[in-house]
Amino acid sequence: MSGGPFRAIGIASTGVTVYRKWLDAVSDNISNLNNATTTAGEAFRERFVIAQAVDYGSGNGGVQVGGIELGSAEGRLVHEPDHPLADENGYVRYPDIDLGSQMSQLMMAQRGYQANLSVVDRAYDAYQAALQLGRNS
Amino acid sequence: MSIQPIGPVAGPLRITAPAGVEAASPGNAAEVFGNLLTQGVDTLQQTQANADALAVQAATGDLQDAHDYMAASTEAALATQMTVAIRDKAVAAFTEIMRLQG
Repeated sequence: MSGGPFRAIGIASTGVTVYRKWLDAVSDNISNLNNATTTAGEAFRERFVIAQAVDYGSGNGGVQVGGIELGSAEGRLVHEPDHPLADENGYVRYPDIDLGSQMSQLMMAQRGYQANLSVVDRAYDAYQAALQLGRNS
Repeated sequence: MSIQPIGPVAGPLRITAPAGVEAASPGNAAEVFGNLLTQGVDTLQQTQANADALAVQAATGDLQDAHDYMAASTEAALATQMTVAIRDKAVAAFTEIMRLQG
């Protein structure tokens, strides 16, 4: 929501939305980390959230998700001859996603989510202080 | 030799009314205050409607982001507080004026 005297709350809440979507993307990546496919098929493609600033000049500060980009479908070939999906050479395809990098992205997304929520909290306190101005005179 | 008069001293910044609000003069001060109050109530109604719509979404399970409702209701609470503060000021001013007679 834009406009109104309490704009910081709306702006920070767009930030929370973006980080929520990043959390969704990371959880999607982690949950599909070990999907085996045939070598003829595509590996699960890593999800990347592309965040963009909403132009402040338009009167709508904040951030938005410009789109979701997909990583490589090539993945990595693993020799697993016993796997039901293995090809004649004994290979299956796994997504090439690094769990370590996903975990650090998870932490960044969580911290960003919390940071934006604390902006909402602080802005609420600040606005409330403004509304108390002259209350005791 | 002529003596130059001393120019006007640059005083404090003149406070101008926000766009859409007329500058207050004794004649129309009440009207300006009335406009401010109306604007406040309009803002309040808008934020309340927004929070209400999100509350319905939360109840029907259509709400994508829990924080959207929390932020909207926070904003609505602030708008309510602001309108109440303006109302209090108006009532205080009115009471003060009425006291002039007694």
